[in-house]
Amino acid sequence: MKRLLVAVVLFASVVLLASGKLTIAVDVEPVGLDPHLVTAFASHRILENVYDGLLRFGENLELLPNLAESYEIPDPYTIVFRIRQNVKFHDGRPLTVEDVIFSFKRILDPETKSPAAAFYQDVDSIEAVDERTVKFKLKKPMASAILPNFAGVNSSIISKKFFESGKNLQLETNGTGPFYLAEYVAGNYIVLKKNPYYFVQGQPVLDEIKFVFMPEELSRVAALKNRDVDMAKISEPLNVRQFSADKYNIFKSATLSYYLIGINTTRKPFDDPRVRNALNYAINRDAIVKTVAFGEGVVTGPMHPSIKVWALPPEEFEEYKYNPAKAKELLAQAGYPSGFEFSIVTSARYNFDKVAQVIQAQLAQIGVKVNIDLVEWGIFIKRWRESDFDAFISMNSGSMEPDIQFYRHFKTGGSTNVFKFSNPRVDELLELGRSTVDTEKRKQIYSELQRLLVKESPVIFLYCANQFFVADKSVEGFKLLPNESLIFLRETYKK
Amino acid sequence: MTLGYVLRRILVSVPTVLLVVLMVFVAIHLVPGTVVDMMLGTQNYLTEEQIRQLYAQYGLDKPLIVQYFAWLKNTVSFNFGVSLRTGKPVLQLILDRLPVTLELAALSMVIALTLGIVFGVASAVKRNSFVDDIIKVFSLIGISSPAFWIGSIFIVLFSGLFTEFNIFGYVPINRDPLKNLQSMFLPSLTLGLMICAQIVRVTRASMLDVLRQEYIKTAMAKGVSRTALIFKHALKNALIPVVTVSGIQLGYLIGGTIVIENLFALPGLGRLLLQAVNERDYPVVQSIVLFVAIMIVALNILIDFVYTLLDPRVELK
Repeated sequence: MKRLLVAVVLFASVVLLASGKLTIAVDVEPVGLDPHLVTAFASHRILENVYDGLLRFGENLELLPNLAESYEIPDPYTIVFRIRQNVKFHDGRPLTVEDVIFSFKRILDPETKSPAAAFYQDVDSIEAVDERTVKFKLKKPMASAILPNFAGVNSSIISKKFFESGKNLQLETNGTGPFYLAEYVAGNYIVLKKNPYYFVQGQPVLDEIKFVFMPEELSRVAALKNRDVDMAKISEPLNVRQFSADKYNIFKSATLSYYLIGINTTRKPFDDPRVRNALNYAINRDAIVKTVAFGEGVVTGPMHPSIKVWALPPEEFEEYKYNPAKAKELLAQAGYPSGFEFSIVTSARYNFDKVAQVIQAQLAQIGVKVNIDLVEWGIFIKRWRESDFDAFISMNSGSMEPDIQFYRHFKTGGSTNVFKFSNPRVDELLELGRSTVDTEKRKQIYSELQRLLVKESPVIFLYCANQFFVADKSVEGFKLLPNESLIFLRETYKK
Repeated sequence: MTLGYVLRRILVSVPTVLLVVLMVFVAIHLVPGTVVDMMLGTQNYLTEEQIRQLYAQYGLDKPLIVQYFAWLKNTVSFNFGVSLRTGKPVLQLILDRLPVTLELAALSMVIALTLGIVFGVASAVKRNSFVDDIIKVFSLIGISSPAFWIGSIFIVLFSGLFTEFNIFGYVPINRDPLKNLQSMFLPSLTLGLMICAQIVRVTRASMLDVLRQEYIKTAMAKGVSRTALIFKHALKNALIPVVTVSGIQLGYLIGGTIVIENLFALPGLGRLLLQAVNERDYPVVQSIVLFVAIMIVALNILIDFVYTLLDPRVELK
């Protein structure tokens, strides 16, 4: 009898929890809905709740099974995924091995122009072993390095039949995720509703999530205070302080995205590594975190210090101990005893302009004059792409996986190596790292690479800012991930 | 006669609209950074070849003049194309957003005209009094304050003082008129006050001018009541410059909606335009500018008619 009572109470509480509608104010509206094409962060935040990948990230960005219930790497050239049974798309069709293969064929088709194609360029073949198993054969022994890509939104599994019925995926969605897209009023809001077929028992908890687009932070703060919304993305730490912890739940997490100074290594005087290295010594990162981020951030090396498997902590780099005397000495050795002048291109978003001002002041201490060239974001991108800069300040999204973090940026001729950086040893280490499976050996390779990157300084790694979502006290179960993903909305509920 | 006038005005307006659209076309294409750049951002994984294909897909590999005439040809046949970023038909995007902006503009204008004329008349009638000074100071503040600042102050004030008041959460007027008006209240008040300041000053000057005229003295001598004198004899004649200024202010109003719709998260045309410019979504930018240009031209023709209503001596030839 007692047991029955407990069961009834438990059941009732689940039912009570299971109802609810959450309104979230976000800053940016999605740009397109095709999971294989979208590049905008805002699109990823919606689509990661609508589509699933074979794998997904856990709370600490560990890789977890998702549409693949398990996977194995029998050898460094092979990944075998076992596809989950009884999964349905939002239109009710069951997920099949064919859908999985079709999704990756579509990504790899040059006609699709998917940004994810580059992740899988070393995939040799994708085949169905049986009705539940898919095998990826690789051209290079890089199975471990490639794995985290399977958890990304751009690697979502789509329905072959849905696509072949002529649907435009930029406008219509049909995933297997915890929510389906119920309504989209451009410029106003998106409503996601609970997917009744979702394969994880008890998820999602909420019936409905409404994302309201509010570009101005002031408006999001006011909307939250006025209870027009239950939860809001708040970017500025000073604004977060307006919300007291006894009335609001403040969700905070580190982010892997890092602020950086990118340097054109072919322009004088930056063609001399000593000059670039001197800047590394002359920059006081703690001061930037304190003044620009109000202490809400961490100084970072080439990898975020929380990724303990790979990252060398910032303290290990000699250059990170603020040392203007050493900087001057290096400049003198390079033939610039009285400093020089250069310009930093940047744009007034995410506080880039403020970071630039602090750096301008810091470099003035060693006789280096910085001119800040503040441009509109579109102009910035064009100049970035064409390497039309002495240096720039911007932010890159980071990864848990060192190959994803470094390869395309620092490999000679890499797709985002706008620094025109070329170093034979770096190239060698990058190739070695992606084709080594043994974690200990990889760790050694990437430790050497991180040291070399700080010494060669094609990029000056600065800091990673904390991110915030502030919510009404009734909102629980939510967690923020360091990759800024909102997948924990499936576990979120309102008391 | 009047129909002939309208037709002539429309014909004359065609080159104006075309010129505006051409200028915007050239400007948005000359700004560095293309739609492809904006799409890829600084996390670009595509090969040079794939990027070239994207340019070709959007027709951006052709000379600018070819692109312009291709767009113009389609537009004349009412094919406004699709948004390069979202894939949605441009006409649908504009028609979805137009009601919001029209409502915002109309409400702002009602607020601006009501307050502007009332305070303008009061200021003129009570010339050099304390009331006049107060109104002058406030209209000066109104003229010198940017709309986003006034709007921000309202948001902070209302979210702090009237927590029950829903500042945000736009719903269409046909779905829930009350909620719609609530979400439109602060944005239209902000824009209305901005324009009102200008109208107060013009009404005041124009009223003062009229009140000095002989026929007013005659009316006074004949014993016309003060209210009838001010509103019937003076105001009607003083309104012509007010109408002219209001027409000009409508242009500013369209500009103001960009800022205000962004601040108050309203899904209007101004916000769409800002997004489209930021994303370099060429067909959307061009079509919105075309719409706005046509709207302003039409309003100007309408204002000419208002002149004839106010002053029978005005004839449209």
